[in-house]
Amino acid sequence: MERLGRWLSGGALALVILFLLLPILVVIPVSFTEAPVFRFPPEGFSLQWYEKIGRVDGLLGAIGLSARLALLATVISLLLGTLCAIALVRGVVPGAAAVSAFMLSPLMLPGLVLGIAMLQALREVGLRDAWWSLLLAHVVITLPFVMRTVLASLSLFDFGMVDAARTLGCSYPVALWRVLVPNILPGFVSGALFAFIASFDNYPVSMFLVDVRTKTLPIQLLNYLEISPDPTLAAVSTCLIALTVAILLLCDRLVGLRRLAPV
Amino acid sequence: MKRDPLGLLALPGVGYLALVFLAPLLLLLWSSVRGPEGWTLDGYVRLLGDPYYRGVIAASLQLALITTGGALLLGYPAAFALARARGGWQVVLFALIFLPLTVSIIVKSFGWGIVLRRDGILNWALLNLGLIERPVRMIFTEGALYAGMINVFLPFMVLPIFAVVRMLDPRLPDAAATLGASPWFSFRRVTLPLSLPGVVAGVSLVFSLSVAAYVTPSLLMGDRYMTMSMVMAKAFLNLRDWQLGAAMAAVLLAMALAVVVGAAALQRRLGGR
Amino acid sequence: MNDQHLAVRGASKRFGTASVLDDLSLAVARGEFVSLLGPSGCGKTTLLRCIAGLLRLDAGSIAVAGRDISALPAHRRNVGVVFQNYALFPHLTVAQNIGFGLRAQGVRAAEAAPRIAEALALVRMAEFADRPVTALSGGQQQRVAVARALVVRPTLLLLDEPFSALDRKLRETMQVELKHLLREVGITAIFVTHDQEEALVVSDRIAVMNAGRIEQLADPATLYQRPASLYVLDFVGQSMRLGGTVSAAGLGEVTVETRLGTVRAPGAFAPGSRVVVAVRPEAVTLTETPPGGRNTLAARVSEVSFLGSRTQLHLDLPAGEDRGVVELPRLPPGIGPGSAVPLAFPIADTMVFPAA
Repeated sequence: MERLGRWLSGGALALVILFLLLPILVVIPVSFTEAPVFRFPPEGFSLQWYEKIGRVDGLLGAIGLSARLALLATVISLLLGTLCAIALVRGVVPGAAAVSAFMLSPLMLPGLVLGIAMLQALREVGLRDAWWSLLLAHVVITLPFVMRTVLASLSLFDFGMVDAARTLGCSYPVALWRVLVPNILPGFVSGALFAFIASFDNYPVSMFLVDVRTKTLPIQLLNYLEISPDPTLAAVSTCLIALTVAILLLCDRLVGLRRLAPV
Repeated sequence: MKRDPLGLLALPGVGYLALVFLAPLLLLLWSSVRGPEGWTLDGYVRLLGDPYYRGVIAASLQLALITTGGALLLGYPAAFALARARGGWQVVLFALIFLPLTVSIIVKSFGWGIVLRRDGILNWALLNLGLIERPVRMIFTEGALYAGMINVFLPFMVLPIFAVVRMLDPRLPDAAATLGASPWFSFRRVTLPLSLPGVVAGVSLVFSLSVAAYVTPSLLMGDRYMTMSMVMAKAFLNLRDWQLGAAMAAVLLAMALAVVVGAAALQRRLGGR
Repeated sequence: MNDQHLAVRGASKRFGTASVLDDLSLAVARGEFVSLLGPSGCGKTTLLRCIAGLLRLDAGSIAVAGRDISALPAHRRNVGVVFQNYALFPHLTVAQNIGFGLRAQGVRAAEAAPRIAEALALVRMAEFADRPVTALSGGQQQRVAVARALVVRPTLLLLDEPFSALDRKLRETMQVELKHLLREVGITAIFVTHDQEEALVVSDRIAVMNAGRIEQLADPATLYQRPASLYVLDFVGQSMRLGGTVSAAGLGEVTVETRLGTVRAPGAFAPGSRVVVAVRPEAVTLTETPPGGRNTLAARVSEVSFLGSRTQLHLDLPAGEDRGVVELPRLPPGIGPGSAVPLAFPIADTMVFPAA
């Protein structure tokens, strides 16, 4: 019975991992195919679909736009989120628990609803510029990710260490810099990386805010999939997978993966 | 009360969300009951009165229930195996479950399409194993949709359960055994009740995410399986029927909130014992 | 005491390449309290888990009341365990925790209720019956753990470091209280502990364990006065010990040359052997003109510790084999760090061990 339980749960874990990785791993061989379709097993080997990324209209532009958007939204979130986290952990904030729940709440809500609400509100105030609309919305998307990790690492930080540094001859700002900053830096960096991924991948909010000339990468990819599905998509996907794996490895080096779990 | 200068640092962030996040949501709710001729419940009446839209709501709930149930069935035992794995192995296995969370949903849905195509990997494997004689149509079937949804949301089930199970004291089942409890009794009376907070967290997360799913159903089923999110998007983007779209958004929002608040209340009861 | 209630024979257990139990045998009489004493890693907890059925032996057998239970899983052995930190079920109340075993064994509610009440009364926790266990203090949790283990009427009770979670003062009270309670119940009990004082207080006999074997199994007084090896000497109580070489032997007595002087002790070693002589701190007196039958040495005091009922002198000895602690009922005037002191102790109380 006990052994049966172990066997079953081990089997379930293997199945879960295989199942989760399957759709991610299949795109990699398909991106190197010679054939212009997604057939499996892929035929031959070529890099033509990677070369084609540059030639597809608007794809490189969308990558650039998404990267700029994610970067800027993350920086703004870091600023707003860190200030807010400091206030919540160290300051006196009326209803602190409710405030921190509010700051994390965009994570809990359907993205589509948020996108529609923003579209309507922006029209109401007369902002029709797609880039600014996207930026405003993506800060809302990225802020909870930053808040969560920075709040967690600040509340784990023992502020007695700052006092200890001051008794050892550091001035207050120097003590903060030498003791506090290195301790919360991992949380800061991992929060930023997740915020970046969340913005870079976002579809349901962006779909309401883009216009013909300003399209983020997920929107452009989905359009392309509908118009002319060919292995170029697999090539772009492979690049995105490589990027996320690289970011995850970086996070693991910085904080250890297990502390990153978003749920 | 004296103003605390550090507390004021919360203002920019809170103010930003109030203005750019909360205000638009309230405006959306307001517009769902406010038509060109004043107050109206027209959107809601059409939504709940029309059998088509009622069917869409039922289909969304059914999809969310099946996704949640499937993810729980697979994810619950997997979380235990993950918690039991040792040291380095646990990190690797954890990373393999965590990685799909960070891969774009477009990439995953696209990959899932490749798996299920008539000339895709699954048909290829089944043909080579001799289990089928000719390729089976899998894409654009409900089964494929359920599998795709579970695929996307499964990590949100495994990780919260894992987080709870990992902290369970391994001596509790030992203690139960020395008191004469069979493994099954010990699982039902000790392990299962203690893992419930993780189950509640996972179920509420997967349900609220899947009931509002948009990308996966529209990529895997197109117009063949309309969910609330798809109707809402269509109402705003194609039909320009804001009244209806806003009402649907309000219903979706109410569901998501109900699940989150309900789960939080349940957690408190489970934790308070 | 040949009424063997628990008999462990030839028990061996390996984890990978590490041998944790090495052909160990142990017999415990009915109603006896035995402690397994040793440092962490000596195999005492492994032995306890093997007796409880939470681990399987690689070789050997375990019998309780004449019945071989080696092949039974834990839940069929009817061996009670009080776990370190108690392992109470956090989602259940005090009464539910105590009733867990009865319920697991299918005892009907009507029959279980009076037994639970009785167990609650036994540990004086009746008024806490419906409290969650997470709201209890350490001492109360320990009592619930004991009641939970006893209510199913086990044939044997195992206690894994039962006092380690309590602070010092409470620990001392609970040791006596628990010993008394278990004696009343009349159960056979095995304590696992790394604390030698605790072992001396609670047990009839103590098994000192080292590297998966029992180094010595004896009653507390014998263990203290006649330790079988340097390991036992060091693990139980304090001592003054000096390394030296046997210079003469005969008539059941050896003469040993140490750094501080010549010492005679009962024992049989060949001249030229490297040995360690030792004496318990309380056997030593400070006098230059002792009565006959005593060894005398001269040493220098490095530190003085006042312990209330007695005073400890730490002697200034070179590092290595030698270490010196002497205890006096009261400190003579004029003695402090740096004083030269004359030591005297009975030859009969002097122990000799082969050097490690």
